[in-house]
Amino acid sequence: MSLIKDYGPSESQIPTVSHHGEIPSGQPVCQITIDGKQVTAVVGESILRAAQRAGFNVPTLCDDEKLAPAAACRMCLVDIDGFERPQPSCHLAVEPGMQVTATSDGLFGMRKQNLEYILSDHNAYCMPPCQVGCPTHIDIPGYLELMTKGQHVEAARLVKEVLPFPYALGLVCPAPCQEVCRRGLVEEEIAIRQCHGYGGELSLEMEVAPTPFPQEVATGKRVAVIGAGPAGLTAAYYTALKGHAVTVFDMMEKQGGMLRYGIPEYRLPKVKLDKELNSVWQLRDAEFKGGMKLGRDFTIDDLFAQGYDAIFLGIGAWTSNELRIPGEDLPGVIEAINYLRQNASGDPVPVGQGNKVVVLGGGFTTFDCARTSRRLGADVTVVYRRGRKEMGAHYTEVDDAEHEGIKLEFFAAPVRIIEKNGRAGGVEFQRMALGEPDASGRRRPVPVEGSEFTIECDTIIPAIGQSPVLDWMETTPGIKKTRRETIVANGALMSDRPGVFAGGDAQMGPVTVIQCVAQGKLAAKAIDRYLAGDDMARIAEEIREEERVPELIDIVPYKPEEPQVRMPFLPFADRVKSFELIEKGYDKAGAEKEAARCLQCVCPDVGRCDLQRLSLEHGLTDNRFHRAEPVDYHDYEYDFSHDFILRDLNKCINCTQCVRICRDVIGANCYGLMGGGYDSIVTTPWNVSLSYTDCVSCGACAETCPTGALMLRERDLQTYELDVVRCIYCGDCVEVCPHGALGETPNFELSTYQRFGVTVLAKEELASARTWKPSEHIPLADESTRELIRPPEIRPPGPPRWNA
Amino acid sequence: MPTSSAYRILDTDINAAHERDRARSMAAADLIALIDASGLRGRGGAGFPLARKLAAARTAAAGGSAYVVANAYDADPGSPLSRALLLKKPEFVIEGLAIAAAAVGATSAYLYLRPDAESAKRAVEKALDAARPGLGDLEVEIALGPGGFMGGEESALLAVLESRRAMARQRPPYPAQQGLLLRPTVVSSAETLAALPLIVRDGADAFRRVGTETSPGTKLVSVTGAAASPGVYEVAFGTTLGEILERAGGAVGGTFKGLHVGGPTGGILNATRTGVALDYEALKAAGTHLGSAQIRVLGPNVCVVHEAAELFDYLAKETCGLCVPCRVGTKRVEGILEGIYSDLGRAEDLPWLGELADHLERFSLCGFGITSASILKTTMGEFAEDYRAHIVDRACATGTCAPVRARRYETMAQP
Repeated sequence: MSLIKDYGPSESQIPTVSHHGEIPSGQPVCQITIDGKQVTAVVGESILRAAQRAGFNVPTLCDDEKLAPAAACRMCLVDIDGFERPQPSCHLAVEPGMQVTATSDGLFGMRKQNLEYILSDHNAYCMPPCQVGCPTHIDIPGYLELMTKGQHVEAARLVKEVLPFPYALGLVCPAPCQEVCRRGLVEEEIAIRQCHGYGGELSLEMEVAPTPFPQEVATGKRVAVIGAGPAGLTAAYYTALKGHAVTVFDMMEKQGGMLRYGIPEYRLPKVKLDKELNSVWQLRDAEFKGGMKLGRDFTIDDLFAQGYDAIFLGIGAWTSNELRIPGEDLPGVIEAINYLRQNASGDPVPVGQGNKVVVLGGGFTTFDCARTSRRLGADVTVVYRRGRKEMGAHYTEVDDAEHEGIKLEFFAAPVRIIEKNGRAGGVEFQRMALGEPDASGRRRPVPVEGSEFTIECDTIIPAIGQSPVLDWMETTPGIKKTRRETIVANGALMSDRPGVFAGGDAQMGPVTVIQCVAQGKLAAKAIDRYLAGDDMARIAEEIREEERVPELIDIVPYKPEEPQVRMPFLPFADRVKSFELIEKGYDKAGAEKEAARCLQCVCPDVGRCDLQRLSLEHGLTDNRFHRAEPVDYHDYEYDFSHDFILRDLNKCINCTQCVRICRDVIGANCYGLMGGGYDSIVTTPWNVSLSYTDCVSCGACAETCPTGALMLRERDLQTYELDVVRCIYCGDCVEVCPHGALGETPNFELSTYQRFGVTVLAKEELASARTWKPSEHIPLADESTRELIRPPEIRPPGPPRWNA
Repeated sequence: MPTSSAYRILDTDINAAHERDRARSMAAADLIALIDASGLRGRGGAGFPLARKLAAARTAAAGGSAYVVANAYDADPGSPLSRALLLKKPEFVIEGLAIAAAAVGATSAYLYLRPDAESAKRAVEKALDAARPGLGDLEVEIALGPGGFMGGEESALLAVLESRRAMARQRPPYPAQQGLLLRPTVVSSAETLAALPLIVRDGADAFRRVGTETSPGTKLVSVTGAAASPGVYEVAFGTTLGEILERAGGAVGGTFKGLHVGGPTGGILNATRTGVALDYEALKAAGTHLGSAQIRVLGPNVCVVHEAAELFDYLAKETCGLCVPCRVGTKRVEGILEGIYSDLGRAEDLPWLGELADHLERFSLCGFGITSASILKTTMGEFAEDYRAHIVDRACATGTCAPVRARRYETMAQP
């Protein structure tokens, strides 16, 4: 028996012409029809290539124009007239008059099914959900890794790239990142918020706060920011970093906006808040002007007249919404925002020991009012018209409030406020039941007939939402408001008046602090580009693209369980009548331990990965093949043993591109399909380390890999040193280099450039390098003249021929 | 004129070498025309007319080199047809191979066997030694496949002959246009080739006397499972499944639940379908295919959901791993079916399986994945009760299934 021992290119049937650019003249061409459009194709080339050249986006995961087609990924299948079943367009040559359907609902669905299959066994992480979930998109795995290494200020600096106030947000952020943390699938989410809080707190101790980047040179442009709250100060911070001069105006005397006047001391100590916010004023040309109210002390037109080039409106939402029930005007009914402001400024407040307070609502403000009143000695009841789950406030707020002795009443809506001796004396409620979901997705409460009941009280705080104060608009032309009483702004956060931007609560309605910070960040970017004279429609499109929520596709590998490191808290008993900060903050060890729990669930190939791109294009959000038995999935070991190429088989999709490029282009033939059936996987023979194969480290496999299965190790090559004593000038290095990076110089084989472009030995140096005579002593590398050593230009003679 | 029973290859005695010489003396075009007139179709399961394959290869070779391969691999372990043929009539296969080689002008031929077909290999080696002097410049080599189901697929077979892993190759181009080492190659099952000496001796009309209009001749079938006397039988095309079962002594105990026709990727027909004829078109219309011509009798105490899951379990182990629908799809379908018979099924699993079956059928690379959809389509259509019992009653219809899974596939919405 003799099998054919010939590794011929038995897969190549199709001539390849680049899909880039024009068809070279002289090529025989023919006409085919793709999706009803006439396309000129080179005779004999694949349909895929012709389609790509004509601008059709035919998806593929296993095609490389250098390689013979494999038809493995089944993404490029198209319907062709005369064929019963769809055919892979990478594998079928064009024929004149071919009628091709490349886009149809049927093909789309089938391709999507392929992707779902691939991803169902893609045992790897894609985007970290925390980073996507955070409105500012902090590089959370990045800063947690830095914290694990103990580099806390560096971590804070990384956070400050998108969020200037890590300490404040570390205390008050509702942490949408933690809700989606993948560690939660193992046991408990990472305390992400507290971790950056620690880094932020640590950098408060520094004389000058760390900045994410050095402040750019002054541009001479001036920006006015109205409102010194989270949105305004963030916008001011990043605008100043960009080199523009910034003036921040605020109607209050002190900075901070709602952070200072809305959030009570026990959640955010104002001394430290000031310290952190002062990092804005440490920047060049950034100043704060308190006690200046828009509409009262100045107008938008005034600012432009004073020479400001752009204005950012971050004026917040400072009026409480009305209940619209009888008795609302009675004394004893307090405005929530005003109440919090009075308390924060140290003014007298209308709540004290012995008061019976009812707070209406379920958001953050509700609980700020309730817990403040409790600390002032009042007996407090929170009444919400929906259930605990539907509350807008973070669940920890609700739990803590209950532990502090606040009574909670759910599914009750106020009907009227009862008068008693000319004051509010109680509230009549009606029971509610949950009905159909409303526009926000929460189920709408519907009243239950005849279920009225009354709660006796002397103080009522309606906290059912806030709105911006927009009375100044009457005298300001060009800026419009929505029906929801917010400022109209486009995708680039610019209002209808050029140069006037708006963000935060004033533009979105009352939202969380972190959303306001995110808007401030985006506004700073938009303002910077506006000042540079860019097209704002393009900026809006850019921001929309950047902010698009990518789908995350993964299954979760096994991890040993390790519970969250608990943050020390102020005991509940100590909280009565005390506005002391509740969250004590991590110590160094705690913060580092908690940060080390991060799964680092991020793929370095995100953004370059074809699988991710196609999955997004095909709208693949859910995967129906998750969470079954372990036998249904593969869990491979990484092979990071090679010096240049990192292999993670978990991300391999068996496209066989590396197999073909290594065999047919490079000639090393390091890869092949191993295993059988469902367990087939592209790897090295016997799955050995790539270092033990004939790998020449050319990196072609990593370059062609459509996913992150093969990646180049990040490295910064310095120069290769040639040990002239040991080099025998065999020239093997020159021969073996598949990229021809080691060049042959006129006299001898020597590298002039290494593969990453850094000069090993400049050509001029070569020209003037010393020539070593064979008899001459060649200094060793470790002698003092190390820098001067240059390899000889002439190949030394071989060993003496004794018989000559 | 021979009687129809004489046309059973297994018990016909002719001098095959003589017919080979006759064929060689004919003009190739005439020989191909003769085979065309006989209506001989591929016995490997797809039923492609051999004459068209020969003609295509001859045209593509254009006088250059070409190859002929007799596929005696018996991919389906339950259907040892080629082995039976080679043990009894090795010379028919060898001379058939030589006739096909003459038709396309090939000088190299391969006889491709399973690695474990020891006795068949000995028999064919002996016959080959005897035939070699008469073969002239035709070199016939015996090649052994890798074992496993995929090794018998025609394009994977070519890869094996090229010393590569048994992987399917996308067609077109078909092997007759571009096969072994990119040269035209006729890959035909040993059984198909074995009919050639008979056709050459008696002519096309005599060959057509047996079988049906569209599928002339006889076919070896393997009756397995709960049959009284399982084994390899030769029957004329057009014989009904019931008649074949009768020849194998009927079902053990007289009753049976269904017939699994066509090997591991074949569909399962219920017991009332005994009138279906053994014929490419009739079987296709019934939802399955001739495939490896295995007719497996399922006893009354067989849960078809379990049976289908076992089949997909086998397929998921045997798939070559190249194309996504087959590599991952078979595994996922197996998982869903196992979930159903572990009583974790949901009503929406059935339309889901239908969707996946369509995907397998339309998007797979080779016949392996394409035909495996028939398992799902026939079982869900003909044994809906078995599925219903597991999904709705949470109990096996035959009381034979034991759960193998504690967790089923769940949808994971992205955060």
